[in-house]
Amino acid sequence: MNWLKQQLSKELWSPYAAGILLGIVGILTVLIANSLLGASGGFENLAGYIGKAIQPNNMYFNFVMPTGITWGVILLVGVFFGGMIGAASSGTLMWGKKGSANPDAQWKRVFGPQVWKRWLLAFFGAIILEYAAGIAGGCTSGLAISGGMLLAPAAFLFILGMFASGILTALIIYRKNY
Amino acid sequence: MINYVAALVLGAAFGFSLNKAGLTKYQKIVNVFRLNDMAVLKFMMTALVVAMIGLYGLRGLGLITFPVVPATYIVGNLVGGLIFGVGMALTGY
Repeated sequence: MNWLKQQLSKELWSPYAAGILLGIVGILTVLIANSLLGASGGFENLAGYIGKAIQPNNMYFNFVMPTGITWGVILLVGVFFGGMIGAASSGTLMWGKKGSANPDAQWKRVFGPQVWKRWLLAFFGAIILEYAAGIAGGCTSGLAISGGMLLAPAAFLFILGMFASGILTALIIYRKNY
Repeated sequence: MINYVAALVLGAAFGFSLNKAGLTKYQKIVNVFRLNDMAVLKFMMTALVVAMIGLYGLRGLGLITFPVVPATYIVGNLVGGLIFGVGMALTGY
């Protein structure tokens, strides 16, 4: 019991231990709900309401990614609280604390301490992420991890592309400090 | 209804594991692209291996059927991945 408490209050687990937990969650997801752990799909289901308000006959939001409170949307709510529980269990929850809008030291070294820069980059970066997830048919969790564990070829093509351009982008951002 | 409860609980466990692996931090995500912190890969690949064994084992026993597998369309998956990597390295999400 004490051991369990000690593990829960650690900020970081070994990535292998956390990976085993995610693997079990992935199995249970298929077993209980016959679904996959997608993250980007939920956002699309919600954003579709705006999309459809502007363009009611939009093919994408009517047929490819229908709007609605889907499994993915509820999953996202769970992820939000799960992440908070994880942070709270180790006492690193930043909610409402000073500096929580731009907490990462490495980010500040590269881009500067301004909060608006962080939020601007997050906003436009997230548009890129969601757009790309729409093209590929999923994101890191829904395609790379969930697809990968079903041995879908799409997942491995996606991981290949993700690392190729990710490394290149990091090279450009960090230049000499790579 | 049961599906929604399951989604909440499983989502929470998913978020919890992401937090404990450190994937909620900018530096963890970007440093895997700088090739000096492989935590993201270790985490992803462990999850993949564990889930593969479990899922294929359960299917072999006839206890589950697989959900719809993400479709393979080579250009889409690759181009999507390429754009996705740019966003990921920029934001660290």
